Amino acid sequence: MWLPLLGLILGIALGILTDIQIPAVYENYLSIAVLAALDTMFGGIRAQLQNIYDDKVFISGFFFNIALAAGLAFLGVHLGVDLYLAAIFAFGVRLFQNIAVIRRILIEKWEEYKLKKSENLPKAR
Amino acid sequence: MKNSPQMKGAWLSRKYFMILTVCIMTGFILGYSYNISKDKRDKESISHFYTQQGDSYQEELIAQQERNKELSDELNALQSKILEYEQTYKTNEDTYDVLAEEAETLRVLLGELPGSGQGVSITLEDHNYNSSSNPNDYIVHESHVFSVINELKIAGAEAISINGQRLQAHSYISCNGPVITIDGNQYPAPFVIEAVGNGETLLSALEISGGVVDQLLTDHVVVTLAKKDLIHMPAITKGNS
Repeated sequence: MWLPLLGLILGIALGILTDIQIPAVYENYLSIAVLAALDTMFGGIRAQLQNIYDDKVFISGFFFNIALAAGLAFLGVHLGVDLYLAAIFAFGVRLFQNIAVIRRILIEKWEEYKLKKSENLPKAR
Repeated sequence: MKNSPQMKGAWLSRKYFMILTVCIMTGFILGYSYNISKDKRDKESISHFYTQQGDSYQEELIAQQERNKELSDELNALQSKILEYEQTYKTNEDTYDVLAEEAETLRVLLGELPGSGQGVSITLEDHNYNSSSNPNDYIVHESHVFSVINELKIAGAEAISINGQRLQAHSYISCNGPVITIDGNQYPAPFVIEAVGNGETLLSALEISGGVVDQLLTDHVVVTLAKKDLIHMPAITKGNS
């Protein structure tokens, strides 16, 4: 479990230390990329907890989501319509759903653990 | 975890490598966007400072412009006032000139200003008389002087003097035996009456047939008329009037 956390910290450090300036026009893309990345992360965690995790789905989802969101934002910028809002909305809703599922699973697991513990303890005595 | 029992022993399995990559990229994106937004915040705060400064300058400018506007309005009002005054002055200028000239003429007439210019000099002398006849018929009386002075005044004389005594508007002349008294000063004959004015007009007024000179000659007064190019008369000071 420590490896993803380490990777995250490493990535954040790299990002903060990077000193590349991008034009203000592309800041929409960045916000979308952030959302897509978070969505994929939480999606991966949920899949892991639900035991339906798959490498290919995870990786392809990560890159495809980011590419799709960036494409939408690109289209929106060039059409004069704020299409990136659609991506933000979709990702936001999925993010909250994923987090809700993760929370529920964790609570279930905790309850199970407590139950098991309370069953085990009297037996041990 | 169910699909990787065969990779459990590996130090860095494919799955963990993937997760690591994704995590690093996510972290990178997060950090990078944080960095950018931080830069933007800094810039915004700086630009906010500059904006504030600009705002204050702009307010100052607006205040100055308003002040300028007020002042220019005032200037316009004053200029229109000046224009008004000038127009009034223009219309009244002629009147003022006339008034000033009139005032000067009146002063000369009053004797407050020294009079000088061309004029006439009239000398009235007693006729040589024999002791048998009435001497009153041969000496110059005040009435003769009066008639000459009146004629001169009517003819437009500006200033009149008798034997050097300037006459003013309220001078009095009275007969006192062989002398006449003018404003308290006694003068004997002959009487030299000088008048400043248009010499020809005065002379012709005096010499008109049946006029003053004829009457004087009838009254046995010796009259000498002389036209003079320059007569100077002193102003009457308050003291000797």
